[in-house]
Amino acid sequence: MDEDTRQRAYEVIQLMSSLNDTRRAIVMALAHIYPKSVSGVQLSRLIGYSGKSRSLYRGVLSHLSEDKLILIDELTPKLYAIRINHEHPLLEFLVEICKEHGAEARELYEQALEE
Amino acid sequence: MDVRLQNARSLYDERSKIALAAFIAIFAVTCYLFYSPGIYTIGIEPPEGIPSGWVRGFEVVYSFNTAGFILAVSLMVFVYGFWQWAFLPAPAATYTMAVLEGLYGSRAIIERLIGKRFRIKTGKGSHIDITCRIKESGTDQWFTYEAKSSRIRNPRLENLALRHGMHVKNDRITSWMGNDELHSRLILMSRAMRLATSLP
Repeated sequence: MDEDTRQRAYEVIQLMSSLNDTRRAIVMALAHIYPKSVSGVQLSRLIGYSGKSRSLYRGVLSHLSEDKLILIDELTPKLYAIRINHEHPLLEFLVEICKEHGAEARELYEQALEE
Repeated sequence: MDVRLQNARSLYDERSKIALAAFIAIFAVTCYLFYSPGIYTIGIEPPEGIPSGWVRGFEVVYSFNTAGFILAVSLMVFVYGFWQWAFLPAPAATYTMAVLEGLYGSRAIIERLIGKRFRIKTGKGSHIDITCRIKESGTDQWFTYEAKSSRIRNPRLENLALRHGMHVKNDRITSWMGNDELHSRLILMSRAMRLATSLP
């Protein structure tokens, strides 16, 4: 592994371990299902969130999109499409390794989406 | 959530209830105090043809007593608002200070400011401002923090901030953090600030 990749891997680990459970689960789930986007309700199902999906928006999701970790497109006033920001310098790398090595996890996430 | 924060949360709930109860009691007392000594009317001529009962009722409402009463009530609301804005419940302040002192120890000066704010002076003119919000409205998130670094001029600041999971606003590295992330993300913010000030 070359120097640059090692540094990126270090920074991805640092970033992921600095986030709390909910945020980490969101980023991981979205990285696996990229390039798909999901609605708030689907997202709360993906991460096993017990609260209302509306309360996710106001706190967690709005802060994540402020930090440019995720992108939120407003389809209609009540329906949002949430996806990972694959142009982010670190998440680009995360999405890449998830695509390469995360086929099984991706299947599990997609099953959760279909149910 | 940390035990101290749970205490702070129940304290906060409790103090809102107590404040409301006190407000109702004081409201009643003020009402009595302002209207019992007699009505000081603001002299205006009532238009003709209105029954005298209506005129007298109107004189009670349109009087210096009412002006004073409204002033007193708005003063109460203002004091309550200021109190809510200015102070964190004590256990939450202890928790925040414990996290910050654990992180920076004696290497930095940590100030507590009015308005639920903290400032960490890390030396060489750079600092981190932290503002606490007790409850995010419409969510079940308690005690979130907004951290802002001092102004840094570096063309790569945006990239550095993103790589530490944060964003840049007005040349400051900024991010909202949950109470369970405060420690880990402040470490990252300090790292980003160091890189930004040392790299060209």
